Amino acid sequence: MLKCTFCGRGAVYDRRYAGVLLCDRCFMKSVEKRFRKAVAKYNLISPGDKIAAALSGGKDSTVNLHLLADYRRHKDFDLVAVTIDEGIKGYRDESLKIAEENAKLLGVEHKVASFEEAFGATLDKIVKLAKKHKTGLSACTYCGVLRRSLLNKTARELGANKLATGHNLDDEVQAIMLNYIRADLARLYRLGPIYEEREGFVSRVKPLREIPEKEVAVYALLRGLKIHLAVCPHAGGIHMEIRDFINNLEANHPNSKFMILRMFESIKPKIAQSMIEFKPMKCEMCGEPTSSRICKACELLRELGL
Amino acid sequence: MIKMSNISVTVRLIGSKRREKLEISSRAKVIDLLKLLGQNPQVVVVRRNGKIVTEGERLAEGDLIEILPVVTGG
Repeated sequence: MLKCTFCGRGAVYDRRYAGVLLCDRCFMKSVEKRFRKAVAKYNLISPGDKIAAALSGGKDSTVNLHLLADYRRHKDFDLVAVTIDEGIKGYRDESLKIAEENAKLLGVEHKVASFEEAFGATLDKIVKLAKKHKTGLSACTYCGVLRRSLLNKTARELGANKLATGHNLDDEVQAIMLNYIRADLARLYRLGPIYEEREGFVSRVKPLREIPEKEVAVYALLRGLKIHLAVCPHAGGIHMEIRDFINNLEANHPNSKFMILRMFESIKPKIAQSMIEFKPMKCEMCGEPTSSRICKACELLRELGL
Repeated sequence: MIKMSNISVTVRLIGSKRREKLEISSRAKVIDLLKLLGQNPQVVVVRRNGKIVTEGERLAEGDLIEILPVVTGG
């Protein structure tokens, strides 16, 4: 068996971008250290914070919740978990149960908010309506916009001042590439480990941002966490193409993901010069904070007659 | 010329009913098996006889190889 570069025990992970082999113990320690390092470096958690952790039941949000719960040993803050039930038949039902079990195991308050209750339709229904109305928008577009809006609203209603999501390195790199391809400078600029609080918007933090997706999964498996690993039935489109492209790139050229992230971080301060800070307004339809008269969630729903 | 011998391993793709016996070179590593199956190591975790292993690990006769897709999206 191949040996761990650091302690000589049997290796379970080949971290090619760093040129090291890791055993289960060294691997887990390094992931935990990277989480703590990101929290400290970007000042993601302060004493007295109330943090709402977005919890889908998937590996990323589950690992994020467990690491946040562990971190309470270092800092005094409150933690609650928020799950969004988008209404995806045969997919979300199981992950909801897993989310609930994890929150219970950690003794963390758990709140579930549903698309159906908040927007009058499940994602399955929204996708059907989108096809009928020929909007040309993917399920991921509706899901992303509506989930972000509902997470923000629920976190705010729970009295949280921060929303911690399970975005990992792969998610961040894919978002960078997607915004390049769509030439969306404003969205590109908003990416980062922390998106500061604005009127009505709770701060969003991403403690797993520098941990590759596969490492989050290996960590969850080694720690024996109960996670939901099914593929969303609506997944597809450009998001998946970008994901596959980046994973092929990383397989052939290790460290590509970190390089894309670092390059973005170097140019981000320069983008700042051409950005106009927006002043949040209240959406004329739902009252949620927005950068324009009508928020994106209401704009999408209105188009579907909802 | 030295003739390479083959070994037989059982492969199970978690999440599907796919389970098959494969003949592969006795010098093959996990990465070779993944390439043969068209799987990107970036998106799967491999367990050999129940334990997570690296892609550089050499395969042995009778191994049960489980491939767990971990990049699920959504």
